[in-house]
Amino acid sequence: MKILIVDDSSTMRRIIGNVVMQLGFSRDDFDEAEDGLKAWKQLVETQYDIILTDWNMPNMNGLELVKKVRAEGNHQKTPIIMITTEGGKGEVVTALKAGVNNYIVKPFSAEVLKEKLDGVLKR
Amino acid sequence: MSMSQEEIEALMSGLDIQDDDSSEVEEEDVPAAIEEVKEEENNTMSEDDIAALIAQTDIPSDDAPQVEEVAPEPVMETAADESLDDILNNFEEDSDDTSSDVDEENIDDILADIDGITEVEPVKEEPVKSAPVEKTPESPSASADEAADEAIGRTWTDKQIDQGNFPHRVEKEHKVVNQLSQVANDSEEQASKIFDVLSFILDENNVIQKNTKELDGFVTKQVVLLETLCKKFPNVAAFSANLELAKSMQQAPKDIATRVDNENTQLFQAMELMQFHDINRQKIERVMAVIKKLSTYLNNLFEDETGYHDVATAKHIHGDSNNDLVDEADLDALIAEFAK
Repeated sequence: MKILIVDDSSTMRRIIGNVVMQLGFSRDDFDEAEDGLKAWKQLVETQYDIILTDWNMPNMNGLELVKKVRAEGNHQKTPIIMITTEGGKGEVVTALKAGVNNYIVKPFSAEVLKEKLDGVLKR
Repeated sequence: MSMSQEEIEALMSGLDIQDDDSSEVEEEDVPAAIEEVKEEENNTMSEDDIAALIAQTDIPSDDAPQVEEVAPEPVMETAADESLDDILNNFEEDSDDTSSDVDEENIDDILADIDGITEVEPVKEEPVKSAPVEKTPESPSASADEAADEAIGRTWTDKQIDQGNFPHRVEKEHKVVNQLSQVANDSEEQASKIFDVLSFILDENNVIQKNTKELDGFVTKQVVLLETLCKKFPNVAAFSANLELAKSMQQAPKDIATRVDNENTQLFQAMELMQFHDINRQKIERVMAVIKKLSTYLNNLFEDETGYHDVATAKHIHGDSNNDLVDEADLDALIAEFAK
């Protein structure tokens, strides 16, 4: 199982990584990217099983990344969970329409991420 | 409108996404909201700022010489002006109430008619400042006075800034967006260090848990061994005493493990709480974006496309309430005095 964590905040990447490790994954099970562009580069080079991405990031934001992933490349069917501070209904709908499989509003707890991960993995 | 996780779940399970066009509306609403805030703040800030600036800069030049402003030249400083001093002194004795604020051209004409004055270096006028005093050539004493005036002005301004009457000078550390950006970056850096500390404690706890497990296994084995020895050698008091001790120690590793587990839970909670750093950073970034837009808007608003250049502005205009004005009689008397 390989997970890609995309967030411009290094603290946030570590927090998510930590939660992922709490769920039984090891440090080698996930990679990090600080924006959509770098994430896309990694997605081209490596095959991931789940993508956890933030929305607001420089260079290429999370929504653009989701649309790109769904439109091209070899991760078109890969589950994507958006983890963001954007908690508006409009934003959630927009993200879901773009192809996000699940949506988490920050701040979140380890349990919430676990539930969402389990949910997308079961599908 | 913020959504809870339950609402998101409900939304996802409802699958009413296809017909819902509210996203576009919402997306359009966001910049609209920003524009509203911007407009609102523009109104408030521009009026306040301008009022504050006017209030802060409307200072009598005698009391508050600004750093940027040219300090008024001391009147009649040079030796060549001594004759003029005498004339003026005589004149002042005759007319105490008469102000020296006469039209510059008239003074020039009058001075030109007085013998000896023509040898003095032509006086350079300061049209912008419209100072009633004439500027004399730079001399060491004059520049020293100017420096002293500047120092006094700076001290006064510093005092006003310290008292909060004036805003801070526009320097890098006082620029709002710079400061906010620095706060966000420093905060990110420090948060990362805090995370390092928490991770270190977590790693150490994992080592402690591993060692505790080994210790627990060892104590359990010791208890089994001592029980066997006690059965075989019931008369050896040392075995039974050590067995009791080993049994009492058996609980200690379990207690340690429980405490470390609790501590780890607290550490995980602390790590989760650090998400607020990211949330606060994004709030700061949102404020920065508003300020930048506001700055651009105000720059555009005050931008001058007419090629307007600073012109000399009158210091005394008819209708002003100022005691330092001459009426017709004063003017005639002044001219008559110089014509003697």
